[in-house]
Amino acid sequence: MLQYLVIILDDTSVAYCHADNPLEERNLMPLETLKKGILFGMKQNLMIQYVFPDYALPEEYASIIESIDNVKIYPIGKKPDTGLNDESEADVEVAMDIPENVDAQNLVLRLSFSEMLKQKDEIVKLFAQGKRINLCITDVEQFADEQIEAYKQVLNEWNTALLDLYKQGQSPQFNLLTDRMMLEKMHNCEAGVSNITLAPNGKFYLCPAFYYDERMQVFNQMNHHQPSSDNSVGDLEKGLDIPNPQLLKLNYAPLCRKCDAYQCRRCLWLNRKLTWDLNTPSHQQCVMAHIERNASRDLLNDIRKVGEFMPEINIKEIDYLDPFDVRKEF
Amino acid sequence: MTKIKDSNEPWKGGMAKNITFIVTKDCQLACKYCYLVGKNVKERMPWEVAKTFIDYVLDHETDPDFAYESVVWDFIGGEPFLEIELIDKICDYIKTELFRRNHHWFNSYRFSFSTNGINYHEKAVQDFIKKNREHLSIGITIDGTEKKHDLNRVYKITEKGSYKDVVKNIPLWLEQFPFGGTKVTISSADIPYITESVLHLYGLGIHEVNINVVFEDVWQEGDDLKFEEQLMQLADAIIDGGYYQDYSCSFFSELIGKPMDPERDNQNWCGAGKMLSVDAAGNLYPCTRFAQYSLRDKDAWIIGNIKDGIDKNKIRSFLTLDRVTQSPQKCLECEVASGCAWCQGENYDAAQTHTVFQRATAICLMHKARVRANNYYWNKLYRKLELEDLREQYEANKREVKPEIC
Repeated sequence: MLQYLVIILDDTSVAYCHADNPLEERNLMPLETLKKGILFGMKQNLMIQYVFPDYALPEEYASIIESIDNVKIYPIGKKPDTGLNDESEADVEVAMDIPENVDAQNLVLRLSFSEMLKQKDEIVKLFAQGKRINLCITDVEQFADEQIEAYKQVLNEWNTALLDLYKQGQSPQFNLLTDRMMLEKMHNCEAGVSNITLAPNGKFYLCPAFYYDERMQVFNQMNHHQPSSDNSVGDLEKGLDIPNPQLLKLNYAPLCRKCDAYQCRRCLWLNRKLTWDLNTPSHQQCVMAHIERNASRDLLNDIRKVGEFMPEINIKEIDYLDPFDVRKEF
Repeated sequence: MTKIKDSNEPWKGGMAKNITFIVTKDCQLACKYCYLVGKNVKERMPWEVAKTFIDYVLDHETDPDFAYESVVWDFIGGEPFLEIELIDKICDYIKTELFRRNHHWFNSYRFSFSTNGINYHEKAVQDFIKKNREHLSIGITIDGTEKKHDLNRVYKITEKGSYKDVVKNIPLWLEQFPFGGTKVTISSADIPYITESVLHLYGLGIHEVNINVVFEDVWQEGDDLKFEEQLMQLADAIIDGGYYQDYSCSFFSELIGKPMDPERDNQNWCGAGKMLSVDAAGNLYPCTRFAQYSLRDKDAWIIGNIKDGIDKNKIRSFLTLDRVTQSPQKCLECEVASGCAWCQGENYDAAQTHTVFQRATAICLMHKARVRANNYYWNKLYRKLELEDLREQYEANKREVKPEIC
C-alpha cells in the first residue's frame, strides 16, 4: 500500500540513495505541478517527502511546500528555509563526505566502498551523535568477492564501537548493523509499493534513479521499443499506471521472499541494472546484505552478553552469503 | 503384452547440459509461423568464434554451470546444415579437445540437429553423418501432408512449397535414424489439416510426431473448437487404426489436464538459463530464443560473450524462475493446468516490462481444447483396452512418465 510520495523539486535535487544524480542543469518543478502533486498526495493519503537541491528555491515555493505536513531531504548544510522552524524528526540530511555537524535527526552518508573503508574511523565518530546514520554505498555493482573479508572486518570494527555505546546505555542507530537487530520481517526500499516518486516533469517513477536514467537516456528497459518509451509509471493527469506491479512485491521475488537479511535495501534499480529483472537481486546486493546480517547477529549476541536485549529477535547462523547458492534448499 | 507407444525418452533423461551454436541466421525457407523474425544471410559464425567458445566452455569444466555428466552440442540456424563445413570442423575440434583434455564429457556427448531436411542428402551432410553416426540426433521437420506443409514451409524468395524437397529425404533419414521424430508446428491456418497430417507422417514411417501449437498470440476466435474437433478425429483414427501401439503423437499424454499444486508442482517449464547459446558475434544467451533474431519487441538478453564469459547476474532470474511467480492467477486456479506449456523467450517478448516473470497465455484456450480431446482419447482408448481385457496389462507395465520439459 502506498504511504509516501517523494517529490523531486528540481533536476539537481540531492541524490540520497544508491544512484548518483547525474543531472547538472537546474530544472525546477513548476508551481502548478507541485500543487497538483501535493493534491495527489493528499487524496491518496500519502506522506510527502520533498527532495531539495542545493540552492534556495524561489520564495513563492515556501508556502506551497508547507501547505502540508512533510519530510525534507536536503544536502548537508543546506537546510531549506521555508519560513517554518518546526523541523520534522524525519528530515534527512545527505552528505557525500563525513560532515562536521549534522542538524537533522537523520543522516544519509553516501560513499563508495573504498571511501567507506578509508573513512571507517571517522564514521565511528558519527555513532555517538545520537542521530540515525544511513550509510549508502554508491558502487554496489563494483563490489567483488575479494572484498568480502574487508567488509566483514570493517563491520566488525564498527560493532566494537557500537557495543561500547550500548554498554554506556546509548541506542545508536546505524542502518547496516542495528536495523537487522530490530526487524522481524523484511523492511526494504519498497519503491513502487509503499512509495512513489514525482519528478519535475509531472510524471511518476518507481524512484528517482529511474527518472535519472530516463533523462540520461540510459538503457531503457521498462517499456522496450514502445512508441512512448520512458521509465515513467504514470503522471499527474492520468494517475499511476505501474506495469506488472506484482513483480515489485516481496512475494514475487523468489530469492527475497524467504530471505532473512531483513535490512537489505532490495534496490529495484540495482536489480534492473545488474540482473535485468526488477524482482531479482544481484550477487553483489545479496552478499553485502548477508555480510551485514551476519555482523548484526554478532552484535546482537555481544549485546546480550551484557544484558537482555530484544529477546524476541532470533538471527540464526547460516553458512551462505548469497541465497542464490542455496536456492534449491531455500 | 499390450503396449501404448510413449514418446522417446530424451537422451540422458534430458539432464545433459545443452549448448547451442547459432551457426547461421540464414535459411532456405521463410516459414510463415517461424518465430525467427531477424533471419539474415550475414550472420554466419566464423570459425574463430566457434573455437574460442568451445575453449571457454571446456576451460570451465568444474564450474557449476557446466558440471553436468553429459552434454548435447546443439546446432541451430536458420538452417544449420547450410554451414556443414563449419559444423564438421567444430565437431572435430570438440572431439579432439575432449580427448586431449581427458574431459569428463568425452564419450558422453551428442551432436543434435533440427533441420528442414532440404540438403540432407548432400554429400557433405552425409559424410558428416557417417563420421559421427554414434553421437548424432537429427530431426527433420516435415509438417504433414503436402498441403499442410506447403501452407507454411515455403522458400524465402519464390514462396514455393518445400514439401517435395523434404519428403524425398525422409526414407534416407529413417534408414539412418529409425527412431527419429519430427516436429510439427500448428498455427491458426493449419488446424484443419492436423488429423490428415499426423496420419500422413505415420504413413511415411515416422513413428514419433512431436507437435505443438505456437506460443505467439495468433489465434482466432473459434480456433479452439476447431482444434478440439481435429484432435478428436485424430484420436478416433489412432485408436480405431491401432496406431497407438507403434506410433506416438505428443498431443496425447496422460499427464496433462490436471490441477497443479502451488508448492509441489512449482518448477519452471523451460530450461532457459541452464542452456547456453552462442551466436556469430560471440554473444552468449540463456537460450536461442533470447537472441535478437528471435525477438519482435525486446532487445536481446545477452548474458556475456566468449571473451569475458558469462555475467552470472544475467542468469539469476532464469535460475530462480518458478511456475507460481510468473503465472497469472487464472493459471494458478486452472483446473486443467498440467501440460500447459510456455516459452520463456515468448514470455519475455510479450511481457509488458523487461522481465521473464510474466507468463504469456495466448495458448490458454488451445490448451483447454487439447485437454478435452485428450480426455476423450484416453477414455476411448481405455474402454477399448478393457473390452479387449488388456487395460490391466497396460497399467501394470506402463512406463513411469516424467513431466515434459522444454
